[in-house]
Amino acid sequence: MPRFMFALVVAVLAVVVGGELALVGGQATSGEYKIGVLEPITGPLAFEGKRHVLGLEIVRDLINQRGGVMGKKLVFAMADATDPTAAASEANRLITREGVKIITGTFSSRLCGAASEVAARHDVIYWESSCVDPRFNKRGLKHVYRTEIDATGFGWYNIEFIAKHLAPRLNLKPNQIKIAFLSEDSSYGQGVTESARQRAKSEFGMQEVMLEYYNWQTLNDMTPTILKMKQLNPDVVHHISFSNDGVLFWRQSKEQNFLFKALVHAGATGYGGSDFGKALGNDANGVFALLEPGPGFRLEALKPEGQQIEKAFRDAVQKETGSYPLGAHQLAGSGLWLLKLVLDKAQSDDPEKFRAAVMSLDLPVGSMINGWGVKFSELGQNANDRVQHYMLQWQNGQLVTVWPEEFTTLRAKWIPLPAWDQRK
Amino acid sequence: MDPATGLGPAQIGVLVPLAVATILLGGIYALISVGLTLIFGIMRVVNFAHGEFLMLGMYLAFWAYFVFTVDPYFVVVVAIPLFFVVGLVVYGLVMRGVIRASHNVQIFTTVGLSTVLQNVALVAWSGDFRFVRPWHLSTVVRAGATTFNLTQVVASVIAVTLTLALVAFMKWTHAGRVMRATAQDRDAATLMGIDTDRVYRLSFAIGIAAVGAAGVLVAPLYSVYPTAGLQFVLISYVVVVLGGLGDMLGAMLGSLIVAAVEVAGSYLFGAAWKEIFYFLLFILVLLFRPAGLFGQRGAETLGV
Repeated sequence: MPRFMFALVVAVLAVVVGGELALVGGQATSGEYKIGVLEPITGPLAFEGKRHVLGLEIVRDLINQRGGVMGKKLVFAMADATDPTAAASEANRLITREGVKIITGTFSSRLCGAASEVAARHDVIYWESSCVDPRFNKRGLKHVYRTEIDATGFGWYNIEFIAKHLAPRLNLKPNQIKIAFLSEDSSYGQGVTESARQRAKSEFGMQEVMLEYYNWQTLNDMTPTILKMKQLNPDVVHHISFSNDGVLFWRQSKEQNFLFKALVHAGATGYGGSDFGKALGNDANGVFALLEPGPGFRLEALKPEGQQIEKAFRDAVQKETGSYPLGAHQLAGSGLWLLKLVLDKAQSDDPEKFRAAVMSLDLPVGSMINGWGVKFSELGQNANDRVQHYMLQWQNGQLVTVWPEEFTTLRAKWIPLPAWDQRK
Repeated sequence: MDPATGLGPAQIGVLVPLAVATILLGGIYALISVGLTLIFGIMRVVNFAHGEFLMLGMYLAFWAYFVFTVDPYFVVVVAIPLFFVVGLVVYGLVMRGVIRASHNVQIFTTVGLSTVLQNVALVAWSGDFRFVRPWHLSTVVRAGATTFNLTQVVASVIAVTLTLALVAFMKWTHAGRVMRATAQDRDAATLMGIDTDRVYRLSFAIGIAAVGAAGVLVAPLYSVYPTAGLQFVLISYVVVVLGGLGDMLGAMLGSLIVAAVEVAGSYLFGAAWKEIFYFLLFILVLLFRPAGLFGQRGAETLGV
């Protein structure tokens, strides 16, 4: 338990000292402005939820150093959304007991739907930074917004990469590519996979050789699936994994000597999380994951204001965690920064004034953290082409940015993937 | 498109690796289930915290490897006595008070214990996924068309050895006979002068020792995190019911059957189907052979 006590002491000190520094270093703020933060901080989703919270805390401090929101110091009322039921009841508590007018969250697509329904019932603004369920914005809820693209956008970008970058490097036309779709079966996995399938087929005529969904929580062995895939012999494996399923597929593919030309994933889960590299070391080499930018990302490719906040954010995360920001930090952090931009403009948390401010924001790509821009649709969804996404690749224990090439100094390697023992 | 349609040479060639996958996976399930079948079979307590003891075993392997670089195969030697003691302590603190209470109370207690253990792990070690990567994990043995992962082979071999040792213990020692007698009829056993409390304490401790050892052995194969036990605990219930309560050899055969259903189902119909098949099997067994495929008569009364 000493670890825990130590963490507690550090947290208390950080709050006390951090608060003092904000007052000394930044513009003066008077009073506090409280928003609700809903993330899974215990339970099976906590490993990612806690990273979201850290991203939010870092950006909260950056905001407070820059004058807070609406002239007040931004503070959080925290709530723990372990599962959809808890997400709904905690959202209720934030609204009725804590009296918040804005709630932000919630790592998982399993949680955001339930929580935002509650917020909508109370006319409270729901500001989503991470969940990618395509249905989220399509329920006619007026004060529900999402800063990240949805799963359909992920699928769109993945196929863009396969057709425009991988195909030429494999000396194949897009319609010659044999593609196998494998995915965990949450709304996230299904959303990405179905939109990728649709675009692959209708726009590029790729040949789909397999489609398979599975439940990652009960998956103990992928050998049968791999043996089946071996016979179907795909060029590209489009695999949306959630956690250990990515490690299992990759390790057992190696065991079964299953060779294909590339594997493409999307999102900060599974192959897109740091754990994949930790589990496999250099054996992870070659996997692609669509994400927020990582090492190799060129600051100079951004607008001046984007460069400034991206750098401040990156340095703060580096200081806190000792490494480059992870997807979870970046999604939560950029979401909160965008909330600040809206509040700066609205100067109010009245839902109607807030909505007017959201709709009027129009920033090009490169304007903020992650090189994102802003343009919300009437449905409250930030636009695919403003929320720039990047293809990262595992290279010697690190996920690095490799595409689009104008945003990065590094290049994709191992296309097509060589034999398993030659990926060094 | 579906490889299942048409049975060519390629399909027959794939049978061998599928069979190997079944045996290896079955070995892991057996390792996890033998402890449960003891506790479930003899004490008639549905131990929902079984998966959490597996998780604790996995963390033991992780920390031993992370701090001292000790291979899980050596850790398992320490894990067995250590988890035996843990079993005794948990029995004394938690299980003893509810052993004669209604099943509802026992379920609440073990679910509560499970939640407590998960959250203690979360607070103490965070929710991060941890990995144990000993040298044998990346050692792939190829034999003809089939491939073996060394770690998985060793885990399966130890599982079989451990199970056989327990079978011998149950069959040929006095303590084993007493435990079996209690499993068959706890009231009659009491009347014969058997100290059932001692029997329960011993069964629980042996069961926890077995699952702790299982956790250490499977740690390299799966990631280690506070809720890592959940994915195995449901399967081990299916295994235990298939094999018959308290029947070690039954649990081993049950594990192989569940693994075979899972592997064949995933290969022929897709990974999403595997649970449908083995839970169908579970329901069929409950309907037609409630004592389990190999179970003894009377065991189905569940001590009510």
